[in-house]
Amino acid sequence: MDIKKANEKMKQLEWYITKHCLWQYNSRGWDREIQNERILTKTKQLLCGEKAIEDNTTADRYYWSEAMTLSGAFKRYFSWVEKTSNEDIAQIMLLLKEQMDFTMIKGSLNQELTKQQY
Amino acid sequence: MPYHEFECSKCIPERKQHAVDKGPGEQLTDALPLGYLNTIPGTISERGCAYCGAKHVIGTPMKDVLHMSHGPVGCTYDTWQTKRYISDNENFQLKYTFATDVKEKHIVFGAEKMLKQNIVEAFKAFPHINRMTIYQTCATALIGDDIDAIAEEVMLEMPDKKVFVCNSPGFAGPSQSGGHHKINHQWINKMIGTAKPEIYSKYVINYVGEYNIQGDQEIMKDYFHRMGIQILSTFTGNGSFDDLRSMNHAQLNVLECARSAEYICDELRVRYGIPRMDIDGFGFEALSDSLLKIGYFFGIEDKAQQIIDEETARWKPELDWYAARLQGVRMCLWPGGSKLWHWAHMLKKEMGINVVSVYTKFGHQGDMEKGISRCEEGTLAIDDPNELETVEAMLALKPDLIMTGKRPGEVAKKIRIPYLNVHGYHNGPYKGYEGWVRLARDIYNCVYSPIHQLALIDISKDEISTDKGFETQQTYSDTALTDEIKNSGVLRKSTSKFDPIPALQKKAEEGKYLFPDPKTGELRTVPYEKLKKNKVVDVE
Repeated sequence: MDIKKANEKMKQLEWYITKHCLWQYNSRGWDREIQNERILTKTKQLLCGEKAIEDNTTADRYYWSEAMTLSGAFKRYFSWVEKTSNEDIAQIMLLLKEQMDFTMIKGSLNQELTKQQY
Repeated sequence: MPYHEFECSKCIPERKQHAVDKGPGEQLTDALPLGYLNTIPGTISERGCAYCGAKHVIGTPMKDVLHMSHGPVGCTYDTWQTKRYISDNENFQLKYTFATDVKEKHIVFGAEKMLKQNIVEAFKAFPHINRMTIYQTCATALIGDDIDAIAEEVMLEMPDKKVFVCNSPGFAGPSQSGGHHKINHQWINKMIGTAKPEIYSKYVINYVGEYNIQGDQEIMKDYFHRMGIQILSTFTGNGSFDDLRSMNHAQLNVLECARSAEYICDELRVRYGIPRMDIDGFGFEALSDSLLKIGYFFGIEDKAQQIIDEETARWKPELDWYAARLQGVRMCLWPGGSKLWHWAHMLKKEMGINVVSVYTKFGHQGDMEKGISRCEEGTLAIDDPNELETVEAMLALKPDLIMTGKRPGEVAKKIRIPYLNVHGYHNGPYKGYEGWVRLARDIYNCVYSPIHQLALIDISKDEISTDKGFETQQTYSDTALTDEIKNSGVLRKSTSKFDPIPALQKKAEEGKYLFPDPKTGELRTVPYEKLKKNKVVDVE
């Protein structure tokens, strides 16, 4: 998929997350990094029909639950998701992860993200 | 996103960075209001203090506790449960509040002796209550009373009693949010891990950041119990002191108000490995996604889906009756901390309401990130506004109603703008599917009440028309509706009862909920008393 088209689709997914989800807003930068990484990776795996469960921990189960809900919403909101190849989904999700990292962490103006304690 | 400068605050230039207009195509990385900072000298804030945040918001919703303020009696009066944090033990914590009534002589000579007398007297006056919280105030913090030592002394002399000391005097933070922070940390440091609960279900959660305003918690509890989930504790609405000591035994923390209670979830995750799952209890879609998410976690998504289907079928026609009449209504959504982001997107999507402004009194920048993301372009977002700014915003934005607390609400009324109380609620609960319909009904009644037309008439000089008949809300709301909507056989007004909570409690009393045994999975009922308060034993 050409990068412009992939970016357009990525923006739609970003819109959904910022409007409907809460997991990306943890108050510290290190938590946001983990949330973005774990949940978006699992969402990509689910959308591509891959194994998305790593172990039996409650932490892994939590990330998987968020990813299940998110992947279901992506399919419900954007009909193109289920018609897109796994390769293109992977490309879009990679862009999405970079964008979420920028908006929520690297480019964020939230001054609390770097505090050392909760 | 350009910063928004209020005319009335031009003389306080620092205020400019506390408000933004959400512009087209702009992102959170372009501008974000400052937040959780000390109130700027020269601006009169509507905030509460750190003592109020600790006691009023988080401590006192606990139901089976003597809540004592160590300080002047006025501190206690101002935190005496003016929110409707109800409970299932005849609202003990609403009826009674305690203060040591510190006077000048105690400031000079110390108030520890008098504190001990008060504690003992209170326990003796209420022998069926064995738990107490003591809240530090500014005065007793400054004179250095050692409340912890007094509490220890009493517990040695009265071994069946437990006392939690909350050290969060009013000056200990920029706003009530500083108090939320302190009591969260002090509770986990001093109390969690001191009790072991009886586990009766395979699925166990703490329900955190939920304060049971007019029964919000009872509505959500019904859904969780229908899924077979044991609620180990609610932090803190309708919550039990001992249940909250055993929070470390849950499998999942389900978090609603992240502003007031994320700290304890974060610490429980780090110290005990319990995941934190943020949810929305408001709005059909957001709530459905949340229930499903919890269902996935425990592998019971079919049960969650069943509730979603049943509740949506029951209440959606009523929500849609109001939604048809609320399209395009302009609202200032000005709650305290978390409701701006819990509600903004669902009000737009499910009721057609345009949120033209969001504000937070004590929120942090993270709350603004959520709130701005969830509202539409053109919204004015304000951190910690002063009263003149709110008046300027209302006059400029011309909203059809304000949803806020009682102090700014009264100001709104004076300039003839309808106001709905979203702190203590008008006719809640507002959580859950039924609650969301109740909120839509209250908004409808607020916006279209004929009283607001009458309020615009000045009887000292305006002519009173004599050719008009009796007017109702529908006189105003239905003028632009199609006949199809007006005469719909599907849509209907709210049928929610005046108080929906007793029916839910009756359901629990009658043993209508089934819980899977943690070992065998066999479905069993659980006695009502255990649903109200878990059985726990002390761990020393």
